[in-house]
Amino acid sequence: MSRNLLRLLVRRHGLFVATSAFLLGGFQFLICAAVASVDVAGALETLMQSLPPIFQALASSQFFGGFSKSGLLAFGWAHPIAQALGAALAITLATQAVAGEAEAGTIELTLAQPLSRSTYLAAQAVFALMALAFITLAGLAGTFIGQRVYALSPFGPGPLLRFGLDYLLFQSAWFGLTLLFSTWGREAGRVALPGFLLALVSYLVHVIGSMWEAWKPLVPWTLHAYYSPQEILVHGAAVTKPLTVLFGVLAVSLAGAWWRFRQRDLP
Amino acid sequence: MAPALEVSDLAKGYGRVRALRGVSFVLEPGEIFGYLGPNGAGKTTTLRIILGLASADRGWVRLLGQPPSRPASRERIGFLPGELRLHGGMTGRALLDHFARFRPSHPPVLRERLLAALDLKESDLARKVKWLSHGTRQKVGLVIALQHDPDVILLDEPTTGLDPLVQRAFRDLVRELAARRRAVLFSSHVLSEVEAVCGRVAMLRAGELLAVESIGTLRGRLVRRLEARFRGPAPADLGALPGVTRAETAGSEATLWLKGDVNPLIARLAHCEVEQLVFPEPQLEEVFLDLYRPGGAP
Repeated sequence: MSRNLLRLLVRRHGLFVATSAFLLGGFQFLICAAVASVDVAGALETLMQSLPPIFQALASSQFFGGFSKSGLLAFGWAHPIAQALGAALAITLATQAVAGEAEAGTIELTLAQPLSRSTYLAAQAVFALMALAFITLAGLAGTFIGQRVYALSPFGPGPLLRFGLDYLLFQSAWFGLTLLFSTWGREAGRVALPGFLLALVSYLVHVIGSMWEAWKPLVPWTLHAYYSPQEILVHGAAVTKPLTVLFGVLAVSLAGAWWRFRQRDLP
Repeated sequence: MAPALEVSDLAKGYGRVRALRGVSFVLEPGEIFGYLGPNGAGKTTTLRIILGLASADRGWVRLLGQPPSRPASRERIGFLPGELRLHGGMTGRALLDHFARFRPSHPPVLRERLLAALDLKESDLARKVKWLSHGTRQKVGLVIALQHDPDVILLDEPTTGLDPLVQRAFRDLVRELAARRRAVLFSSHVLSEVEAVCGRVAMLRAGELLAVESIGTLRGRLVRRLEARFRGPAPADLGALPGVTRAETAGSEATLWLKGDVNPLIARLAHCEVEQLVFPEPQLEEVFLDLYRPGGAP
């Protein structure tokens, strides 16, 4: 592992990581504040009753935990903002790791140093996983502190940590998949686009599949099927299967990226 | 002593384009070796294969006796890319330290000497690289390449963006390194630059190595163009002088093509009132055509 490369990555992406962590932590804290200060559950239930059935189905897929305080707190993690913050960081770091550096032309001089490609890629992956762990902890801290400040105590540290692992592996899987694209690409934009599209398609298929029977068989093929804050936080569901699947996707994509990166011509 | 660099029968293609076709040469310690060719000839591709950045379709490379795929083979190498791109958000000083840390067992012993020779000031190094001029960035790149006193130095168009005074200082530096048994591969598309500093030269065109020969041999075979303007009418006998292969005169101006020793011509011109004398930089393609076409200069 190259500490020198890790230092460079902290210097280059530190502000982005810190901002993402602050936003995710702040967002989860605000969710606690909203749940505690107004009757969000009552308002939402009234709203739901006025909606057509299809939108009711959509809303219930998003508010799987119900309109209890714990269900609404868990919604804070299912919210697109919470997902997008993690995915944006994961996809950006993966994009920059190879294709971005190739496009900028900086990878040539770096790999002309006594540094193996495996070490280079490992440093990129370790940094990204540390950054994703950091924002996950920041988000969990937002929920944890918010619960304390607003006298809400639906989740203990155990479920929060189990869910934290799910969020971390979910975002890490996006990193792994985009890194695989990145090791084939030479332009950051062309790599980021399929990464974001994949995340968006996974989200949409998951949402539509939970409303529409015909799309249900597709749901297990999305990464979102293995990211379930409400089930873990509210119902205490087991995390073995989702964590295994997400870890498998991460491991396979990292292995594929490593195989490709060792072979390709640079830049 | 083993060669610093051995390149044997390298071939590389990108789709239908043959970037290299069986390139072979050897670089010995203490040698400054010119790698000369027009843009797109395959110089950068060769350097990338030497450094393990690209793979060859055929052939092999030994860098200080090791294949380039081993990171250890790059421990004693200094490299300046042709299109130097640096992390713009870092200061020059931070970049020098960053690259020095890749070689903990080879500290940057030459850094201060290089900074002085290249006239790179502390105020330049304190600024972020993205705010530096092209020439100053090139100087930072040269210090990165040379600061750890490497045994093999690979320079791709190293003087791009440097002012003439710094170019001269850099050439002196390269000669000094070669005198200390450092091997230098000097890739360029400028003939005069290679001629000024290299002992041997390889000429590459369209991925093919046309020749590897000493600078002295090359000089003897080169046909150079000279443009002269006289106070009065151009002398009529210039075409008959030794070494002049062709002469065109028009009024007070003359264009001469010279091969080999220029002294007879200079001696003749000493008797004329010359207003201006110019040796234009020859275009490589012209030189190559002249030297290597069937029935050409050799």
